[in-house]
Amino acid sequence: MTEHVLQMEDVTKTFGSGRTEVRALKKTSLNVSRGEVIAIIGPSGSGKSTLLTIAGGLQGPTGGEVQIAGERITELSEKDRSKVRLEHVGFILQSSNLVPFLTVSDQLKLLDKVKKGNMSKEEREGLLEELGITKLTNKYPNDLSGGERQRVAIAKALYSNPSLLLADEPTASLDSDRAFEVMKLLKSAAVKKHAATIVVTHDTRLTDYVDKVYKMVDGVLHLEADKGGAEPLENGRTDFLEKGGNDDGV
Amino acid sequence: MFLAWKEIKQNKLRFALVTAVLLLVSYLVFFLSGLASGLAGLNREAVDKWQADGIYLTDEADKSLTQSMMEADLADKVEADETAVLAQTNVIADNGDVKSGVSLFGIRPDEFIMPEPTEGDKFSEALEVVASDSLKEEGFSIGDELDLSGSDVTLTITGFTDEARFNAAPVLYMNLDDFKKVRPGAAAQSAGREEQPEMVNVIIVRGGQPDNVPKDLEYMESETFIENLPGYTEQNLTLTFMIYFLFAISAAVVAIFLYVLTVQKISMFGVMKAQGISSAYLSRSVIAQTFILAVIGVLIGFGLTVLTGQFLPAAVPVSFDYGMMAIYGAVLIVVAILGALVSVWTIVKIDPLEAISG
Repeated sequence: MTEHVLQMEDVTKTFGSGRTEVRALKKTSLNVSRGEVIAIIGPSGSGKSTLLTIAGGLQGPTGGEVQIAGERITELSEKDRSKVRLEHVGFILQSSNLVPFLTVSDQLKLLDKVKKGNMSKEEREGLLEELGITKLTNKYPNDLSGGERQRVAIAKALYSNPSLLLADEPTASLDSDRAFEVMKLLKSAAVKKHAATIVVTHDTRLTDYVDKVYKMVDGVLHLEADKGGAEPLENGRTDFLEKGGNDDGV
Repeated sequence: MFLAWKEIKQNKLRFALVTAVLLLVSYLVFFLSGLASGLAGLNREAVDKWQADGIYLTDEADKSLTQSMMEADLADKVEADETAVLAQTNVIADNGDVKSGVSLFGIRPDEFIMPEPTEGDKFSEALEVVASDSLKEEGFSIGDELDLSGSDVTLTITGFTDEARFNAAPVLYMNLDDFKKVRPGAAAQSAGREEQPEMVNVIIVRGGQPDNVPKDLEYMESETFIENLPGYTEQNLTLTFMIYFLFAISAAVVAIFLYVLTVQKISMFGVMKAQGISSAYLSRSVIAQTFILAVIGVLIGFGLTVLTGQFLPAAVPVSFDYGMMAIYGAVLIVVAILGALVSVWTIVKIDPLEAISG
């Protein structure tokens, strides 16, 4: 096992070839540890979504190497990558990634059907409690507000105990207050569950809630801010996170 | 099943529509199969009732009963456990009120094709007949005296028997001894020569090996004989063709319907695949859905068919062969699932990346 949940080394991604070649990602390296929350900001088309999908094993890079929880996914078939995603990765998407015909509790039950090692009943209760959606378990996604839906999406993503949590514009469809609230919940829940978290967003205000901020411009990734100076500790957590987790848990 | 059933419950209308289509198609298939076996029964009932293994006709008759004519004594020459001779002619019977085209069978009362009356008595006196009970519905009854076309003879109905229709005509069974008085033109013939041999159309046999077929005769199994009844095979093929066509139609309808539903859900499936839920799981869900809908549709279609059968006038020749209907029902379900494979293919092709970045 590696101490980093996600390791990306010299990853490049090129679309097309010849004159139509587009280098979406230029030699990028990124490591994220358990309990660490990072944000990637940047204008649309800068390559941040490409980076996220490669990090989640949804597509392979043109060059470089990607490891998720110690598995070199660059060498795996789509079928095996799908398994890695199921085991290790949780996705939270821009708009709701909920199944429209399942109630909130059935959304989680579906994960029980396809995978073992999900949260126990107590852990689940705790998670729903923390996200403030305990009372919504029998509702369908259509009966929920945008903020509620994203909170359910967070619950769904964390329910399978992922080591890597990827959020693509999780607050895009929300107003500011809701966006802050969801971001706060996302962070505290992710930290509590020791997931390495990457949030892709163009909303710079949300970066208040993360440990590191990276900026993506034209396929190049820069470290913009490292708030905790967060070096991972032996147990895979950080001083900052201990502190931050407590603050957010109140 | 979990996903399949939850979705059906949540989207009752659209799945009710798919079920309704399957229901209507299965209703039509079942009804056509009932009609096919009913019409087949019209033709072959009497032959089936003989429970014979085979039939001897003359070689020159080319499998046609009416064209076959032989001496009754030939029955002693064929190798079989049991034999029965049959003389047949088509006549119009008139009881004074109703006329009906009938098939007149001249038989020997001691041979195995002698029918057991379901009502009334066997024929015993001269010129008595046991009639097909389908004539009862046409207005004939026991004791009726029947004038026959083409002869001056009057027959008397002494009883009715079931399953007695041959080539769509109700059968009158009578003694072979009297039959020659009835056969059209027979009177003139017998006037010429007093001692002419007794003539029959065919010899029906049970058991035995048809290895040594007497000269000028041809042996065929009962099924072959039935298939060569005038119009029988053509009629059957037509209805069977319609049924097979309906299988193809239901496959296509289910395929289109489910494909549209699947296309609507592409982004949802994409998100689920991104989360690592396998194509196999999602495909199984679609197959399970189709199975549930098809079973419901076919069962309701079956129920409706049987119900309709209760209210049909007797003139409609429908008879339900439940074994055959079960097979057709199963085929419909299989065919529906084949239609769902188009959707499975669509699901397999969905790229989770597009769902995520879209």
